[in-house]
Amino acid sequence: MAILELRDLTKRFGETVAVDRFTLSVEKGEFVSLLGPSGCGKTTTLQMIAGFETPTGGSIALNGRDLSKVPARARGLGIVFQTYALFPHMTVEENVGFGLEMRKVPADERKRRIAATLDLVHLSHLATRYPRQMSGGQRQRVALARALVIEPELLLLDEPLSNLDAKLREEMQLELRRIQQEAGVTTLLVTHDQSEAMALSDRIAVMQGGRLIQEATPFEAYDRPTNGFVSSFLGKSNAIDAHLEAGGAGTTQLRCGDIRLDAPASSHGPGAVLVSLRPERIEFCGAGEGIVSGTVVERVFLGDQWLFKVKTGLGELLVVRRNSGRREPEVGETVHLSWQAEHLRLLEAGSAA
Amino acid sequence: MIRNGLLAKLFSLVFAAFMLAPLVVVVGVAFTPEGFLEFPPSGISLRWFQAILDNPDFIDAAIVSLQLGAASATIATAICIPAGLAIGGGRFAGRDALQALFLSPLTVPTVVLGIAFLRFLSMMGLNGTFGGLVFCHVVIIVPFVLRLVLASVTGLDPSIARAATSLGADGWTVFRRITLPAIIPGVVGGWVLAFITSFDELTVTVFIVNPATTTLPVKLFSHITQTTDPLVASVSTVAILFTVALMLIVDRIYGLDRLLIGEGTR
Repeated sequence: MAILELRDLTKRFGETVAVDRFTLSVEKGEFVSLLGPSGCGKTTTLQMIAGFETPTGGSIALNGRDLSKVPARARGLGIVFQTYALFPHMTVEENVGFGLEMRKVPADERKRRIAATLDLVHLSHLATRYPRQMSGGQRQRVALARALVIEPELLLLDEPLSNLDAKLREEMQLELRRIQQEAGVTTLLVTHDQSEAMALSDRIAVMQGGRLIQEATPFEAYDRPTNGFVSSFLGKSNAIDAHLEAGGAGTTQLRCGDIRLDAPASSHGPGAVLVSLRPERIEFCGAGEGIVSGTVVERVFLGDQWLFKVKTGLGELLVVRRNSGRREPEVGETVHLSWQAEHLRLLEAGSAA
Repeated sequence: MIRNGLLAKLFSLVFAAFMLAPLVVVVGVAFTPEGFLEFPPSGISLRWFQAILDNPDFIDAAIVSLQLGAASATIATAICIPAGLAIGGGRFAGRDALQALFLSPLTVPTVVLGIAFLRFLSMMGLNGTFGGLVFCHVVIIVPFVLRLVLASVTGLDPSIARAATSLGADGWTVFRRITLPAIIPGVVGGWVLAFITSFDELTVTVFIVNPATTTLPVKLFSHITQTTDPLVASVSTVAILFTVALMLIVDRIYGLDRLLIGEGTR
């Protein structure tokens, strides 16, 4: 059963449309991400769900209950803000207990629930600290505990990890997933960080210009993007403009300038298409076996992998190779590239970001 | 830590000496055993402190000043908390105009204000009354309070009020439990600054007092124009001690740096 149902949700600020007929449903216990670049309307959507912005049109239902007449304080949602928004003059315990206090939970039960939630986020030893005495990661956990302790029907996370440094962010991703699953709470995450969305979510809703572009599992969105924007926004991708044409004997071919490529099976009709090819699906091969050849113009060592930029007849292609300890081509060297036709994704022409 | 050069240290020292020298002279003069203003004093005597007690006029004036300072600082603070939250917290039509209005008393010469208040209070039939004095002092000190409250409000993360709302707090609870405690350093700082400004105010006040509501600065001023005995010095010394004590207490509780530099609360 859907906990959260957004139907044709729309928000206009004067002339600009921030959110445009956005429809999404979130199932019980699910972790869904709203992913998109800044200004795509994801934060406005979250604000409307939270009750801090009034929708111009459409509806929001929580557990079948229409939220349009419910004020923000009565919605009972747990919200983790980007800045954490901890109350600076209260200790960790007081911060976490605030929601319970507002719900008039008796003191002894309050104490028990604060302790249990602090235990869940591994902060029991810091219960009497003030926020200013804590690190960013610890504050983040307090914010999470404060939102979870009220046992919300829905947890809203607004860019919760963006204020942490890279290493801590990765740790907190795993932590966040563990806590979400242990608490079993339905969660909606708003983020511009595609790796965060992929690592955490059961489902990703990619937004662009206020609209929902694709809704899929992280694997599907990455591997089978329906749109050039999704393919370039999730991970790295090579986008090639091409023309789909009928080849001999019922097959189809891609023409890209003078180069002809085998096309994958697809439902696309003949005409202009955008071809997307993931850099890690391209391989280096011997002179005779390559589909295209080119010159290495850039080479970046990333530790566990190498990133190459190769100038070819198809334009500059990114190639990613796992670092297996072998010698890799150097800048200026000629290389031959090959891939399997099934790894090509044919997308609507002009749909790239 | 920024390390200051020798020249910078010397400058700070000279500057501090320049600021403090008049106070040292006043305090020195207050302890003279003689009947005239003498510095350095030829001996140490509490004679002129004793004299304060024999001049109930001064004590009455001090009481008026304390009451006036407390009343006007409190009223000004009560006005400036909502004003500061509105001006610092959101955008609305007339926001800049409102801020300019509240800060405008700073830009009008105090003598002009004094004459204007005199006319105004006469018209309202409030001339020389305590209520009239409070009204005028509130107008004069509002800019000081507003500046400090605004500094606190702009340092405030607007999400914390939203966080409290999302946890079930209504508007009044958010204000009482979250917003007000978060800006309290600015509020207390503003009150203290307002109190001291009111306690010290002479130029405007001299136009609008009558003998029953004479404040301490006005009393000192009129005393000096008639006689020049060290009584003014001893009264001033007591006032200095009182101010220093007030500052020390506030510093202990909230930290003066935080209040006056307006570093905010985070």
